Amino acid sequence: MKFRKTMVAGTTIALAGVLAACGSNSASSNGKSITRMESDVISTMDPSTNTDVIGGQALIDTMDGLYRYSGKDLKPAIAKAEPKVTDGGKVYTFNLRNAKWSNGDPVTAQDFVFGWRRTVEPKTKSQYAYLFSGVKNADDITAGKKAPSTLGVQAVNKTTLKVTLEHPIPYFKTMLVNPAFFPQSQKFVEKAGKKYGTASKYLLSNGPYELKNWNGTGNTWKETKNKTYWNAKNVHIDTINGQVVKDSQTALNLYQSKKLDIATKISGQQAAQAKTMPDYRGLKQNGTFYLELNEKKDPIFKNAKIRQAISLSINRKEYIKKVLNDSSIPAANATPEGLFTKDGQDFAKEAAKNDGSATKYDPAKAKQLWTEGLKETGQSAPTLELLTDDTTSAKRSAEYLQSAFEQALPGFKVNISTVPFKTRLSRSQNGQFDMVFSGWNADFPDAISFLDLFTTDNAYNDGKWSNAQYDALIKQSKTTDATNPTARWNTLLKAQEILTKEQGVVPLYQRVETTLQRKTISNLKYNPTGSYDFVNATVK
Amino acid sequence: MAKYILKRIGFLLLTLFLVASITFFLMKLLPGTPFNNPKIPADQLVILKKQYGLDKPVWMQYITYMVGIAHGDFGMSYQFPGQTVSGLIASRIGPSLQIGAQAMVVGTLAGIVLGAIAAIRKNTWVDATATIFAILGRSIPNFVFAALLQLFAYKTGAFPVALWGGFSYSILPTIALAIAPLAQTARFMRTEMVDVLSSDYIELARSKGESRWQVVAKHALRNSMIPIVTIIGPMAVDLMVGSLVVENIFAIPGIGEQFVKSITTNDYPVIMGLTILYSAMLTVIILIVDILYGFIDPRIRLSGEAN
Amino acid sequence: MATPKLSPDAFKHVKVNTAEQERIATPALTFSQDAMRRLKKNKAAIISLWILIIIAVISILSLWFSPSNPNKQNLNYANLPPKWPGVDLPGLNGYLNGQNKYAGMGKHVYFLLGTDYLGRDLLSRIMVGTRVSLFIGIVATFFDLTIGVVYGIVSGWRGGLTDTLMQRVIEIISSVPNLVVVILMLLVFKPGMTSIILAIAFTGWVTMARLIRAQTLQLKDQEFVLAARTLGESSVKIAFKHLVPNLSSIIIIQTMFTIPTAIFFEAFLSYIGIGLPAPTASLGTLLSDGQKNLQVLPYQLLYPAIVIVVLMLAFNLLADGLRDAFDPRSEH
Repeated sequence: MKFRKTMVAGTTIALAGVLAACGSNSASSNGKSITRMESDVISTMDPSTNTDVIGGQALIDTMDGLYRYSGKDLKPAIAKAEPKVTDGGKVYTFNLRNAKWSNGDPVTAQDFVFGWRRTVEPKTKSQYAYLFSGVKNADDITAGKKAPSTLGVQAVNKTTLKVTLEHPIPYFKTMLVNPAFFPQSQKFVEKAGKKYGTASKYLLSNGPYELKNWNGTGNTWKETKNKTYWNAKNVHIDTINGQVVKDSQTALNLYQSKKLDIATKISGQQAAQAKTMPDYRGLKQNGTFYLELNEKKDPIFKNAKIRQAISLSINRKEYIKKVLNDSSIPAANATPEGLFTKDGQDFAKEAAKNDGSATKYDPAKAKQLWTEGLKETGQSAPTLELLTDDTTSAKRSAEYLQSAFEQALPGFKVNISTVPFKTRLSRSQNGQFDMVFSGWNADFPDAISFLDLFTTDNAYNDGKWSNAQYDALIKQSKTTDATNPTARWNTLLKAQEILTKEQGVVPLYQRVETTLQRKTISNLKYNPTGSYDFVNATVK
Repeated sequence: MAKYILKRIGFLLLTLFLVASITFFLMKLLPGTPFNNPKIPADQLVILKKQYGLDKPVWMQYITYMVGIAHGDFGMSYQFPGQTVSGLIASRIGPSLQIGAQAMVVGTLAGIVLGAIAAIRKNTWVDATATIFAILGRSIPNFVFAALLQLFAYKTGAFPVALWGGFSYSILPTIALAIAPLAQTARFMRTEMVDVLSSDYIELARSKGESRWQVVAKHALRNSMIPIVTIIGPMAVDLMVGSLVVENIFAIPGIGEQFVKSITTNDYPVIMGLTILYSAMLTVIILIVDILYGFIDPRIRLSGEAN
Repeated sequence: MATPKLSPDAFKHVKVNTAEQERIATPALTFSQDAMRRLKKNKAAIISLWILIIIAVISILSLWFSPSNPNKQNLNYANLPPKWPGVDLPGLNGYLNGQNKYAGMGKHVYFLLGTDYLGRDLLSRIMVGTRVSLFIGIVATFFDLTIGVVYGIVSGWRGGLTDTLMQRVIEIISSVPNLVVVILMLLVFKPGMTSIILAIAFTGWVTMARLIRAQTLQLKDQEFVLAARTLGESSVKIAFKHLVPNLSSIIIIQTMFTIPTAIFFEAFLSYIGIGLPAPTASLGTLLSDGQKNLQVLPYQLLYPAIVIVVLMLAFNLLADGLRDAFDPRSEH
């Protein structure tokens, strides 16, 4: 007994020592720091070759493009002010502010030209080169038919950047927040060569932070305030520590042990638990999950009533609450909420006013439509496969959907097939499925990034749903309405309603990420592109 | 003996060559592309594949790859643009090796002791306790055990909940990993020791007046450890699999987790690199075991050389 | 003192009955009868055997008699803790963290072991899961036994070039990490039980073969084998009559390890997300689902864990008993 007491006392002292050490550490560095969690490692810091949100977040922390999101507001960053748009929306002229790289060099228009050309050049192997499609000659360059120097971007002088498009792109400005459009210092990139963006020492930043202690593959890193940043006076957190944690329970435990200040992507029961905590934050993601029905393989899905019946048999609210356990939003449309807004109106919410009934839970009506649909097609109730990938939430969703369909739709039998993500992808693209549970994230915050998917000849229209009126509306939005935001908004809204009423795709939910964030952190904004903006954020 | 070892090393290289070849062709059957972005347009995909040399016939890719590894070049990762496979592995293998080695040593030693004690005290409560303990160790999947250990750390604060830092961070992961080899060794040890203790030469040694502990130390232990040597290889493989789970739960920057990710994302060069590395480690362990086997049991050495 | 003289009458002439002389008082027992006799003496083994039989029977009977449909969902009943009607013990009264989770559900709603995230009855799922896991374990073990033992004996017995070649094959097979094999199999076959069993079998028999070979090498040089050989017995006969009984302890122990290993490997696959396709339950999927909720809904992990631990204990204790029974040497 005595021994045990000594042990406890010893442990307490040791712990106190550790705590004291921690306290003195952060005090000695004389600054404010936080530790944020990521669910996976940073795979690269090269803006041209990055493909994931984790690298994306670190790039946004350490770099600045022409624009920067501060919450929902798109604000000029390296661009001094809004650009001059001429030639019917085809030429953008940006004036650049006096900004510096972390090595003291000025950020010039030439850096943008170099960075853009580097991304579209096939040799760079960028997976996002296609984003430049619409910039003059971009498609020909990525196809290897023209030299990168012919790209429609030009440094008029050190501080003037001129961009020429092939046709007006209404959402062009929002695309500029993507790291693929960031400037890159030619001198530095060429000196680093192949190693550019593979470790801390091969990085140059022009953003609020500099990345330190990152070896290119590690689970930890450090972002320290960049004193040369043009807006450094509004950067209040001195150090952001990055820590990779993959398991939700571990993340929760670490958060509660005060080892993390921001814990993200918490799922399952841990999400349900986190939701009850005062530090909970729900972060709306710019993507939806939906069900695609293969009309080519199973002609029964060509019948609108069958598709509508499937949609009506899903109780989205219960499914989110009980199966996903998080705060995701029932999706009324393929386009998610909070993505595309105009004059304070939300595109998805506006659309739902007219087409909301198509995704309401109504088993009686579902049954009726199902029976009618079967009669119209002259078929008996089918046995079909539901393809899904092997993440926990996808699997559980499939289990729920299987049961929901079999209960509500008489005779319908569903088998689940679980495969790794890439297999699912390749099967969906090759049409080897009956129904597939899939999702889409927007590259840029505009409804077109979703609506484009379901036009007849789009390569990602896995279900091969086709509607002539819909195709015409989408085309109209890109041509006649391209320079008229109001007309374009209305046209897209009409298209969205057709898609939803017809259930060309069956929307399920919009993911809301469950996050825990210390109360001491304030003014930290979350962008429509799914990343934080640490500028202006403070910590007590 | 030297000739025998040389011959075995030759076979080892041949084995690795075959493993690499088989894996290469099987891997090429994986559906999908190594590219993460599902939105790449079809024409872009063609260009990307060309840039990576994936447009060439598989046998040509194979020859290129094999020539590469003959020169020690394992290629570049797809998932980590700009990182060489060897660099990627080197930067993450440290923690995996550390907890793996610690678990192996702790597990085997503790298992030998536990098994020996159980055998010596056969059919007593000591034996029963040791047996049940060993079986429990085999009965709880390591992802459950690791989660329980973490819960323990979280509730008591005695150990770090997760993450990777000094030695104290490696204690719980080591225990989580060590439990399987511990249990397996203990069971084998007990079985063998019971056999050995009832054999004639032990009776002889006893009748010569040696004490029980002398007999155990001088004769029984050595002879009982022979079969344990044979299970070290498979146990090492189990550890590789186990490390994946443990690294995931304790957020350790190791290589195990990366392996599964590389397979599911079609990161071909990393799959190859890790497969070859694991195979090399395994074959080397088996080689060492076979040589050790000869030292521990002279009869085997004779037949080994007769080969 | 005079020595008394023994009269010849005190002696009787003994008649030697040759038949009586050869009579054996205890009944003649075959090897297996003898083994059964020894096994019956081992209480722990017999109890384990009964436990295994009961578990197997219940899990098979649940095909027809299940408390409820193991795949039937009811989201209103999701994540309910265990409730035993009329029992007011913590953990069995439907309370979790001081809340009555069954509040407002009516009296006849109760789940003995609670429900999972889709409101499916956990008891029924554990029954199904046990059956599926046992099936996977036993089929994989069957492969282990047949392939591994034959391969090991042939390799060890023949020696020479055959042995060298066979060892190289083993080395190559066991040098390919299991996961690569499994994922590739998931690709070639439909993802599911067959590919998992095949994958486990493909890599599993190697350990058995290696152990058997090592033991055969030892036995080969022993006197009784030498004697049999000298007497001109055929290799096959020697293998069955002399090697297999002497290898039995290794075979049985390894078998008893293979079953949990197979069950575990399946559990591991579930954990990394490539296990049995939903909604099939196995102990592995139940454990990996439960593990995720360990701190919130501990009962979802506890009960499948109890089942797997009891199964393993029983398998192992039975293995010990069998080993003692089959291996005459252990009778010292």
